[in-house]
Amino acid sequence: MAGIADLGVGIGWRSEIDLTVERLPGVDFVEVVAENLHIGHLPESVTLLLERGIPVLPHAVSLSLGGADPVDLNRVEHLGKVAEAVGAPMVSDHVCFVRAGGLDSGHLMPVPRTKDALDVLVANVKLAQENLPVPLALENVAALLEWPDGELSEGQFLAELVERTGCWLLVDVANLYANARNIGTDPERFLDEIPLERLAYVHVAGGEHHGDVYHDTHAHAVLPEVLGVLDELCSRVRPPGVLLERDDNYPSDTEIASELAAIRAVVDKHGPAQWLN
Amino acid sequence: MVTPLTAQGTQLSAEQVGYLSAGPGRAAETALARLIDGGLVRVSRDGLVTAVHQNNHGATTGVEARILSYARTPVRFDTIVQSTAHSTEMTQLHQHLLDQGLMQHPRRRNPAWGFSLLLAAVLLLLGFVTPVLFLGVPIAVGFGLWQRGRKAVTRAGKEALLHVAATDRVHNVAVYGFCGKVNRRPVAEDFGLSQSIVKMLPLNQRRKRRSSSDGGGCGVSGGCGSSSCSSSSSCSSSSGSSCGGGGGSCGGGGGS
Repeated sequence: MAGIADLGVGIGWRSEIDLTVERLPGVDFVEVVAENLHIGHLPESVTLLLERGIPVLPHAVSLSLGGADPVDLNRVEHLGKVAEAVGAPMVSDHVCFVRAGGLDSGHLMPVPRTKDALDVLVANVKLAQENLPVPLALENVAALLEWPDGELSEGQFLAELVERTGCWLLVDVANLYANARNIGTDPERFLDEIPLERLAYVHVAGGEHHGDVYHDTHAHAVLPEVLGVLDELCSRVRPPGVLLERDDNYPSDTEIASELAAIRAVVDKHGPAQWLN
Repeated sequence: MVTPLTAQGTQLSAEQVGYLSAGPGRAAETALARLIDGGLVRVSRDGLVTAVHQNNHGATTGVEARILSYARTPVRFDTIVQSTAHSTEMTQLHQHLLDQGLMQHPRRRNPAWGFSLLLAAVLLLLGFVTPVLFLGVPIAVGFGLWQRGRKAVTRAGKEALLHVAATDRVHNVAVYGFCGKVNRRPVAEDFGLSQSIVKMLPLNQRRKRRSSSDGGGCGVSGGCGSSSCSSSSSCSSSSGSSCGGGGGSCGGGGGS
């Protein structure tokens, strides 16, 4: 694919597991939460990884590009500065909104899949892109509810977003599994509808079932069902990168290494391994 | 490593070696080292210690269980060592060492102890002139020896430490501490811990470090040193020269 280099298998860098990330075998790239970094004072661990040549990708959670409020350009500027500080080839955020009317939701809220909402999202994404030094990738979120009167499927919504903005896609297969489980999204249809040639990389994360509901906790092991969705994606395209997200209840180094190996095995199953080990 | 035996044939655990070497602070460091070694706790670059499991899984001693309980939420490296050194479980470990005859309740050395012995010598000399003064000699000698105090580690404890050979990284911590060195290599490095983390430990505890390459291989200091001693409720009655100083069992160490 043009513009996005092969990344390999990576893990979300978190300060709690910085030493683990540094010594884990098979970490080809990492992702940092942009809001947690301060320009001019990068964590020692992130600097060390950069010195080793490990790509560091900033991932934002607060741009609220799906919101009706004006985009906060200070947040966009910070994301861009983090990208420059770590020499990132791209940055990312979510297809969601996190604030409205002066209130912060504390969650990644799904955007209504209407033409009007898409227009707002497209305008915000274009504004963000104009103020970012590198390409922007946008991630599908896990939703516990669906807004009424949706006019597009999630795949159609993302496809049109890509077509109108030229953004890249960050597909979270755990979120896709969550939506399949919780609101009836069809993962295969989703993968059929999105432009896979614009796939930047993939997120994989753990969660747990509570009755009929799946919680995308990022604090539990990756379920085989989620790896199944990754398998389905990899049967259609070789993703430039796949990244494990873990945000709490960090397991032992051995368990994390096993999850990374399981991810790599799924990807390699569909073709010769071309990534650095 | 070969676990050292006491005179009674009791095996010394790494924690016990740590306690005998440098007191409860060192024992806490040793238990933490074992948990890191077992992948049961994780230390971050900014010195936060977190348990991998939330149910004390993997603890083999009460002290380890105490650390895992503390570390259910991230705790600073120095805080967890100090808190564990003050814990009930550490008091129990100390009591066990007392029961085993490896430690004893130390007595503080009175600076005047030498004066008592000098008095005994004077009484001895004067006794040749006035024989009744000979009666005061054993009293003065006995009083002087009592004032001289005694160390926390018994002869049996020191002998047990003589058999300690630090041949793995956990025992390296027991013998030298996280701040110590083995063959000029910082012990902390064996655990991937930076100096900025171990320097969180109180200065007096860091000063208790030992090196396999210093002092002709003097790896094990006798007794709980002043700083660790003062941090232990079980040992707080002792301090100063009767407790610190160590060196009596010098030679038991040796680098790995």
